[in-house]
Amino acid sequence: MEEIVLGIGITALAGALATVAGAAEDTESDIGSQGDPNSQVQLAPQMGYIHRIFNKAVSGEPPAYGLWCAIGAGVAWAFLQLNYNPALAIILGSIVAVFIQGIYCTSGYLGRTASLAKFKQPVYIDIIKSLTSVTMAHAFVAIFCTTAMCYLMATALHHPFALPLLGLIWGIALGAAGSATGNPFYGKERQYQTQKFGAGVPISASGNIVRYAEAGQRSSLDNGWFTTKFAGPASGICFGLIVFLELWRTVLFEKMVAGWGAVIAGVILILIFTFIDRWIEKWGRRTYGPYTEAEEASS
Amino acid sequence: MSALGGAAAGGEGLNMTGTIVGIVIILVSLGATYMLGASLIVPLIGIIVGGALIGFGVHFVPVGGAPAAMGQAPGIATGVAMLAAGAGLAGLFGGAWAFEATGDFLISILGGAIGGGLMMAITCLMVNATYVFAMGIPAASGKVARDPITGDSFPEYKSQGTEGHGLPFISFVGGVIGGTIAGLGGTLIYIELLEAYQTGLATLMQAEPEVIAPLAVSLAGIFAIGFFLVNAVLAAYNITGTIEGPHDPKFKRVPRAVIGCAVASAFCGLISLLLVMNIGM
Repeated sequence: MEEIVLGIGITALAGALATVAGAAEDTESDIGSQGDPNSQVQLAPQMGYIHRIFNKAVSGEPPAYGLWCAIGAGVAWAFLQLNYNPALAIILGSIVAVFIQGIYCTSGYLGRTASLAKFKQPVYIDIIKSLTSVTMAHAFVAIFCTTAMCYLMATALHHPFALPLLGLIWGIALGAAGSATGNPFYGKERQYQTQKFGAGVPISASGNIVRYAEAGQRSSLDNGWFTTKFAGPASGICFGLIVFLELWRTVLFEKMVAGWGAVIAGVILILIFTFIDRWIEKWGRRTYGPYTEAEEASS
Repeated sequence: MSALGGAAAGGEGLNMTGTIVGIVIILVSLGATYMLGASLIVPLIGIIVGGALIGFGVHFVPVGGAPAAMGQAPGIATGVAMLAAGAGLAGLFGGAWAFEATGDFLISILGGAIGGGLMMAITCLMVNATYVFAMGIPAASGKVARDPITGDSFPEYKSQGTEGHGLPFISFVGGVIGGTIAGLGGTLIYIELLEAYQTGLATLMQAEPEVIAPLAVSLAGIFAIGFFLVNAVLAAYNITGTIEGPHDPKFKRVPRAVIGCAVASAFCGLISLLLVMNIGM
């Protein structure tokens, strides 16, 4: 019984860490313009729209965070082998990982922007100076929380995988959850804020991203301010739910029904999410209504 | 016709020459494995089946890539390979844990499958929540006029100048099925590798299997992740960009991916098992 209570406590803590990690990851990727919406940041100068948005898509978010979290967890594991205090080891691992993230950010921005030289897009040194440290700070929170969560899984919940392997797996899952949930909000709602609300961006408008703010040119910091209103917390909830429910169903139900408890609990959870999704889908159609009449659309 | 005036590349049928070459590679890999360690033939077949399952599962996952991030196309706004890898690896995490706790093959691979499906269910739900509650955009498919499951009509819910947006119910179901199959395949590969390494490394290093267990688990885990990425990327090449799910016409390309992934898994499986081959097993 004590073991289960401890397991539930660890599960809740891991879920909370994952929620913070998801929110920080998405905000970092929006300030740094790392995910799929960066295609528009890269495209804009080619269409004649010069901008001051950070442009650092090193790779897709999942492999990038897989790398950074694996480095963070790997270095932390090495320090743990030297009998360092776990908290200190995880912090040191995250610091090493975040410096590598900073190097990738800098080379990513310089390389990507320099490739746009023929379209007259300048390399702004002040953007590197002011924004790289901001993305590094957010990445530190994401990597630290993910590594700490993996440490809990490895030591308190006795998962068979070693800490660096858990870092790689959950780093990739973190990037997948963050980019899936957060990207549309940054891509559609922020980059194309001048387009109609409640409709997709017409393909003909591609590249015409919003480049001006209330005063002066828009900075990527403004994008981080905007996306933390929804995309960041939503990504956090998404990754937090994934981690929490994956651990919860195993810790609580694994030994029930001759070992089938966790599988059955997982199936029930999937069915619950399916019903909620269907309700959201119907609610959206009912609330917003069709864009055109059905007859006209089908003609 | 492509934009450059040439014939459109990549059809839906099977390339017979390529298929025959692929089957030969599978047979050579199986033969080489049999010659070097007859007991490793079953793990290799498990790896081939697992790889084919991953390739099959990835085709179900609705991925919209960059256009989905602007609400220009339906699907999840990220890359095919990476999303599938995220789901499958979450499944692998659950499957490996279940195998450690129960030691039951069936419970473990189904545990891995459900882990992948659960990850995709939550992700797809949050994608729809973002589209509907934050962006005010209802879900609409661009490839079919009606949802094959619910019968919902799509054309009138498609905003002007786009190919659709959000995740219609068929895409949600496709995502869950894709995550489930990919998680199952990944866990199957992991368990087959683990069993081969546990006995093989113990013989090789002349140590007790319990002592060798952490090394075997780590090696099997790393190789399973590698297999996952190989197969997910191969499937992504077959999909070429975006896919809405099982109702997308691109889904008909799936036999090619299954064969391609089986071939790649057979050869990579041979390489991964070389570690414990020819040691008198």
